[in-house]
Amino acid sequence: MSVLEVRDLTIRFGGLTAIDNVSLAVNEWEIVGLMGPNGAGKTTAFNCITGFYKPNAGQVFYRGEDVTRVPPHRKAAMGMGRTFQNVGMVKSETVLENLLTAQHTKAGYGALKALTGATAIRQREKELTAHADAILELLGLTAVRDRRLGSLPYGTLKLLELGCALASDPDLLLLDEPSSGMGPEESHELGERLLALRQALGVTMLLIEHHVPLVAAVCDYVYVLNFGKLLAEGDPDHVRNHPEVVAAYLGGEAPEELEQTEAPDEQAAAADELAEVAEVAEVAEPADSGPATGVRKRGLRRPRKEAS
Amino acid sequence: MRVLATEFSTQINFITPLISGIADGAAFGLLGLGLVLLYKSNRIFNFAQGEFATVAAVVAFLFDRGIGWLPKLPYFVAIFAGVLAAVLVAMLTERLVIRPLFDRPRVVLVVATVGVALFLIGVEGLLPYPQTASLRTISDVLKVQSYVTQIDGVVVLDQDVAKLIVLAVLAVLAFLFFRYSNTGTAILAVSQDATAARVVGISVERVSMVTWGIAGFLGGVAGVLLAVPPSGNVTPGAFTGLTLTIAFSAAVLGGMTSLPGAFVGGILIGLIQSFANADHSFVPGLNSLPNAQNEVAVVAILLLVLLIRPRGLLGREA
Amino acid sequence: MAAQTEVMTGFDHMPDRARVSLGGWALRGVCLLPVLALVFALPYHSDEWTNDAIYAAIFAMVGLSMNVLVGYTGQISLGQQAFLGIGALTAANVVNTGTTAADPFTFAIGIVAGALVAAGGAAFLGVIALRVRGLYLALVTLVFGSVTADAVFTISSLNGQDAGLPAYRPTALQGNFAFYVFALAMVAVCIYVDVWIRRSKVGRGLIALRDNELVASAFGINVLGYKLLGFVVSGAMAGLAGGVYAFWSQEFSDKNFTSGAGFSLALIFVVMVVVGGLGSRAGVIAAAAFFALLDPLLTGFAHHTGWLNWYTDHKQYIQNVIGAVLLLQTVIFNPGGLGQVLRPFTQWFSGKRFSMHDEGDAAGAALGGGSSVRA
Repeated sequence: MSVLEVRDLTIRFGGLTAIDNVSLAVNEWEIVGLMGPNGAGKTTAFNCITGFYKPNAGQVFYRGEDVTRVPPHRKAAMGMGRTFQNVGMVKSETVLENLLTAQHTKAGYGALKALTGATAIRQREKELTAHADAILELLGLTAVRDRRLGSLPYGTLKLLELGCALASDPDLLLLDEPSSGMGPEESHELGERLLALRQALGVTMLLIEHHVPLVAAVCDYVYVLNFGKLLAEGDPDHVRNHPEVVAAYLGGEAPEELEQTEAPDEQAAAADELAEVAEVAEVAEPADSGPATGVRKRGLRRPRKEAS
Repeated sequence: MRVLATEFSTQINFITPLISGIADGAAFGLLGLGLVLLYKSNRIFNFAQGEFATVAAVVAFLFDRGIGWLPKLPYFVAIFAGVLAAVLVAMLTERLVIRPLFDRPRVVLVVATVGVALFLIGVEGLLPYPQTASLRTISDVLKVQSYVTQIDGVVVLDQDVAKLIVLAVLAVLAFLFFRYSNTGTAILAVSQDATAARVVGISVERVSMVTWGIAGFLGGVAGVLLAVPPSGNVTPGAFTGLTLTIAFSAAVLGGMTSLPGAFVGGILIGLIQSFANADHSFVPGLNSLPNAQNEVAVVAILLLVLLIRPRGLLGREA
Repeated sequence: MAAQTEVMTGFDHMPDRARVSLGGWALRGVCLLPVLALVFALPYHSDEWTNDAIYAAIFAMVGLSMNVLVGYTGQISLGQQAFLGIGALTAANVVNTGTTAADPFTFAIGIVAGALVAAGGAAFLGVIALRVRGLYLALVTLVFGSVTADAVFTISSLNGQDAGLPAYRPTALQGNFAFYVFALAMVAVCIYVDVWIRRSKVGRGLIALRDNELVASAFGINVLGYKLLGFVVSGAMAGLAGGVYAFWSQEFSDKNFTSGAGFSLALIFVVMVVVGGLGSRAGVIAAAAFFALLDPLLTGFAHHTGWLNWYTDHKQYIQNVIGAVLLLQTVIFNPGGLGQVLRPFTQWFSGKRFSMHDEGDAAGAALGGGSSVRA
């Protein structure tokens, strides 16, 4: 069973069809990429999936359950965590308070009970703080525990945002351009971190990403959107070289044959980088046990039913 | 009209509320116009608008009576001084309060205008003059009979006619100003995009000052028109209460971004208010309230508009 | 396993509470003594001062209620006096014993009923507020306050008409100091609730939704529900203050809430919470006490300098001017309000190191640019 399935999603804003009949699926423990030029509708798709927008047509299924019309806060309680394109956190609070707030759905006590100050509340708060500290340690952010967000650098904020998304122990992470603002080294680290998180926590991920090496290193499957329509899907290699995808990114028409359309030296350089990253990624994954080996490599045609 | 009036006047007194409703509505429309102008240009609700009106009324009163060391000026000069005072107060507010807070969240500016209103009420209260008095009516000054005409024993007051004439004139002027004058266009430009306006050479600071000055002018004129008997007076805070609520309702009803809407809204609200006051069965359920029927009627309209059609009758954006 | 980012260096780490020694706590206790003297000893010795102190306690509760609604939840309220009045009216009506002293049981019911009915009224306002965008809320609350006073408080069957509705205290609380202690107990209740709001997911939820509703939703916070909760808690606190208010003056008179008087109260309450500092408990209580005591203090001053008559005639306007100037000064120059000024001290009292350099606090952020209210 897929963790997330989107069927024939369509949403219109006034006269503009922002998403047109898009279907995608994310299976357990996969890291799936969602790519496409700016304005293709990726964040809009995220907003539909997480419940901030109500689509005009189509459905969103979470673990088989139709959650199309479920509001965002309930989806969070169901196990979806998400990040935002412009860092989305509570800017007037400290790092620790943000991590505590992010655990809202797992707080374990009711709002009205909280006002009575019962001992149970105190206990839960201690536990929540311990969990927050654990996440800080996992991400190496313990030193900024009590800082307010305004004084922190962008990269730290992005990392913290990831921490907040993880704070509620989600099953599905939706990350909106997690590598934006990062250089190649930082992206590389991010890629390793995501793979490690998947292995340690067993989370499934759907990423909006522009950074091709990161996608290649991390994603098991990629969907490409353009002008709200699904342009291509498949494993990163296939998609990278798909003529229509290249045309969408670089502009121009797709040639008839399935030839590489990039300039030769660009292509060579890109291939080298890809190989490098792929090597490192392979080394980072252990040979046995855990979700990493449970990933089903999908072929060019994604089977509609589960493959074994 | 005469026949119609005769028919209706046997059932309810149709004429009095109609006329006073339109006339008062005109004054509310003026206040509402100032509110809409400032909302369009600064994106805030100016809770001090009522005080611009009160300031004008108080200053006019002081000069008309020659209170304290102030000279006793002829009525129309006093009126002019009152309106001028309102304009000055508005421009000072812009310079001292609004300008420093330009980039803050809008709600902070709204709170600041509340502070300005509070301050002005305080200052008015500290001035030594008979605070429950009223401004003289036009008919009083011109020493003519107080009403223009009578319809079936119901008078049409000079003062009310004055309100209507003034509103009509200002309405036309406002329309011409915003459509055809450079400053008017500049104001609209700044309200849409201050940075772009700066790029084409418009002085945002100057425009801001002018906008507030105009708002002060509109408030001031409304104040001197409204501060007359029977119900108007020059008490501190006179127009920051029910009147301001009504002005806001007029602006919202007309559509907070529509200048003509403020007129229309003002007249409508004026009518609703005066009919609700006159005949409680006009709005269902109003009869069961012992007091403040007109206020409840107006507020009900306000809430209805905000909840169902925030864009108002003529506005363009929600 | 996990990739390591570079270790952040050079940032201060706030010391834990556990590090304060016994001596440290003793020092804090000693410094608290003047405050305690002011709060307890002075009213004990002076009946007039007690009366004023009760008024200050009432204001403190309203201040805390405004703090929850405006400070934490970020919803502006220009009509809070309506809930004060609803609480007072309800309490007086429940007790309804004329000129005889109420019995303690009915009294207690009256106080609780005041808070509950006010909470209900706040829920009603909250439901409307949910559907209205930011700035329009200011208008709606203004209008709500005004209409409630003019249309509800004037109902003669409820308000005892011209003479006002009497609300006599139970015999045990007849003495001013005894009632003062009761009022302080009610303030303590409000503070207790406030503390637990801040220490639990409730406060975090409210602040998150004030800051950014989308992010709050993504964190799992039911924005609509929590906004409503903010209104309800705020209304309950103000209603509780209303009950105390009714028994303080031992009557309910609608004249205290209608038109000019009501509007003045509304504005003073806004001034209180802004000058106190949005989100700062200590700041709001200090500001509330200040505004409540302003009149007695100035009256005393006027008495000694011979301005008493003029002062008494104009006292409301003088307070208006003072309040307005403080409000504008705070908003323009000192957005964190009193809370920010007091912050080094309140942090120290709660066991942290004394430091003049806090990185900025929630109040400043709320007023200086963190607000999520968009026009």
